[in-house]
Amino acid sequence: MGEGAALIEIRDLVRTFGGVRALDGVSIAVAAGERRAVIGPNGAGKTTLINVITGEIPPTAGVVRIAGEDVTMLRPWQRARKGLARMYQRNELFPPLAARDNVALALAVKAGPYRPLERVPSTQPRAADALLERVGLAGREGIPARELSHGERRQLELAVALAQAPRVLLLDEPTAGMSPAETARITELIASLDRGLTMLIVEHDMDVVFRLADRIAVLHEGRVIADGPAADVRGDVRVNEVYLGKAVATA
Amino acid sequence: MTRALRFGLVAIAVAALITFPYWSAGWESSRFATTVLRDVLVFAIFALSLDLLIGRAGMPSLGHAAFFGAGAYAAGIASQRLGTDQLPITMGAAILVATALALIIGALVVRSEGIFFLMLTLALAQIVFAIAFQWTSVTGGSNGLSGVGRPVIGGLDLTAADRMYVLVAVVFIAVALLLSRIVGSPYGRALVGVRENERRMRALGYDTTRLRLSAFVLAGAIAGVAGALSAYSLRFVSAQDVGIATSVRGFVMVLIGGAGSLFGPVLGAAVVMYIERVLSSAIPVAETVLGLVFVAFVLLARQGIVGVGLAAWARVRR
Amino acid sequence: MSAELVFQQALNGLSFGALLFILAAGLSLVFGMMDVVNLAHGAFYMLGAYVALSVVQRTGSFWLAMVVAPLALAALGLVLEPLLLRRLRGRHLDQVLLTIGVSLVVVDQIGVVWGREVRSLAAPAGLDGSVALYGGDYPLYRLFVIGFGVALAALLSYVYSRTKVGMRIRAGVEDAEMLGALGVDTDRLFALTFAAGAALAGLAGVVAAPVFGLQPGMDLDALLYSLVVVVVGGLGTLGGAVAGSVLVGPADTFGKVVFQEFALAVIFAIVALVLLLKPTGLLGRIRIAR
Repeated sequence: MGEGAALIEIRDLVRTFGGVRALDGVSIAVAAGERRAVIGPNGAGKTTLINVITGEIPPTAGVVRIAGEDVTMLRPWQRARKGLARMYQRNELFPPLAARDNVALALAVKAGPYRPLERVPSTQPRAADALLERVGLAGREGIPARELSHGERRQLELAVALAQAPRVLLLDEPTAGMSPAETARITELIASLDRGLTMLIVEHDMDVVFRLADRIAVLHEGRVIADGPAADVRGDVRVNEVYLGKAVATA
Repeated sequence: MTRALRFGLVAIAVAALITFPYWSAGWESSRFATTVLRDVLVFAIFALSLDLLIGRAGMPSLGHAAFFGAGAYAAGIASQRLGTDQLPITMGAAILVATALALIIGALVVRSEGIFFLMLTLALAQIVFAIAFQWTSVTGGSNGLSGVGRPVIGGLDLTAADRMYVLVAVVFIAVALLLSRIVGSPYGRALVGVRENERRMRALGYDTTRLRLSAFVLAGAIAGVAGALSAYSLRFVSAQDVGIATSVRGFVMVLIGGAGSLFGPVLGAAVVMYIERVLSSAIPVAETVLGLVFVAFVLLARQGIVGVGLAAWARVRR
Repeated sequence: MSAELVFQQALNGLSFGALLFILAAGLSLVFGMMDVVNLAHGAFYMLGAYVALSVVQRTGSFWLAMVVAPLALAALGLVLEPLLLRRLRGRHLDQVLLTIGVSLVVVDQIGVVWGREVRSLAAPAGLDGSVALYGGDYPLYRLFVIGFGVALAALLSYVYSRTKVGMRIRAGVEDAEMLGALGVDTDRLFALTFAAGAALAGLAGVVAAPVFGLQPGMDLDALLYSLVVVVVGGLGTLGGAVAGSVLVGPADTFGKVVFQEFALAVIFAIVALVLLLKPTGLLGRIRIAR
């Protein structure tokens, strides 16, 4: 896989907090259409990695590229405009707004928000509802986000990210806090997404990881200790020691 | 209720509002009522503009009077220094000055939130107040700016009380229509999004800083319009127009009436004006009443009269 | 400016700074503990001054007023906190709005009870004279104010860092939630802190009255100055109140001499600058913004 084909590219990313090196020289390249999982024990730096890619935290050193373009200096909203969407680990929704209106805000970005004298296009609610149906929230469109169940909110979180029509989707523990049934449902949903959509998935649940990922990168103490096709990583001794062993113990 | 019926009722209400001095001419206290209603409408415009910040964008500003006063002073000074009472010129000056000031202050405050935003807007408005208070040669200082002329539109003189009222009422309707349009627009919804979850809005691709700044400037400009109308109405501008008391009043109006609704701030303006104008002549403790009412609302009816009304209506319908 | 004038102005600056400290300490402490900016702080200051006025009128004793006024304000604070603020626990912005309402009521009632004319309060006998200093006679009372301010700062600092109560307060400033989880009665602590803040405001009112007199609007001046001190010096700590008042007191005094009319504008410009660059102030510590 040549470097030029990478849709997301992270080079030698370093991020320190005080004395701690949360990211210690991380390099990952995700090709277009690829589904890459990033796994690692708690504190390995996974969420920091996502936050640096989206731009919410600036890196101490290193480069982030989207479709070959250096976005390291860009703000989160600018990167979002480049086609980056994120599903947060802890839901970031608009609590008092109906599910449909949550999605509508994501849909409205492309047309630009500085339209103070226009009415909201009548096509928008329908497009929002279609997206909600896609993620399995048909019938819940008018319910305020704060009144949805946790699983439904995760589904809405995904719908909002998809509504951005992104090129790259970052999923930060999509199954966080979900029951087995909900987990299975959302995993199938993500699996069924268009193959043209490039994904970077941070996950703890190894079943989900192996269902979704083409390749897996393993993060440990801020460094990538393994990076390869899913099957290979499964058999990697170091990984088993460091992570899968721990996962078994705590599961 | 059909659309046509609703439109008809609104049209009648608007017409009644604009022509108030004429159909109430027979009342004993017609003159007084017209004056009070005029002042209510001026402050309703102020409150509506502040609600764009507090209720829509989630930016609790305690310095909004800076723009109200700036507009008032600009209109007054323009009419005196430029030697003309033409409304387009004096009102234009008010909007220009208020907008410029809102851009300057906005650029400074727009990155802060919550209590910090509150304190910062308070502090910056105090600077404006201090300048207005001390710059006696321009603003009249503590004595205020007197002798502000009533505006003229082309050949139409608005000096008469009823004509002045009509101007205020028309501007109020125009502002209300404008804001109602804005609120329902993609821009208005984006502001709500920023209020509810700025982090998410940024992740979606919205430049939230720019959204907040534009809301701040728009609100400031409209407050400037209200200020100009106040200057014309009272023919006087005092340093208090820029002061914290006016800012607080605006906040109280928005909260009591109901932040985030269009009718709320208007209702709040009416309630506060009633307490301060009508009640204060009957009892000496009007400010106390205002304070107690405000405390009661913050504690018990945070969503204001409109909010309480809507909740009650929702319950009745079930 | 002659050396004598500088000296005299420096003393003025220090006495103003001392007053500012007494005034701002309460505001800073309440914010640090409860995340609430008490916008009724100026009203409490004003009430303290007027209560002192009545006490002096009845008993002739300024010293008695210095005890009674803070106690009266503490009582008020002990009533208001559980009655009003406690109901809005966690809603910091709403609590701030509540204090606005309180200030409206308090200030209006002061006008009703005491009238709205300008009043004055004489310095206590023994301190109402002047002392010959470099540059001319200097009011003895102002020297007293400096001394009192320093003594109070030392006392508060001792209580803050060496006593159990002080330790609780410091812990509460750090993390009130944690403190509650550890079993400390935070409701009582908050009520006491609020009462202490009110008492300090009242005390400031008494001490300042012989210097500044009593008039409508004094609450706003006090509120604004205390906000300036607390923002510049640091929100939430005693050290911040000290730093802020030591800076703002002389700065304001000299500013009035140099800039005259626009001194106030300069002061607030400094506030804005600090809020922008270092929102926590020079020595402050904060947790939440909403």
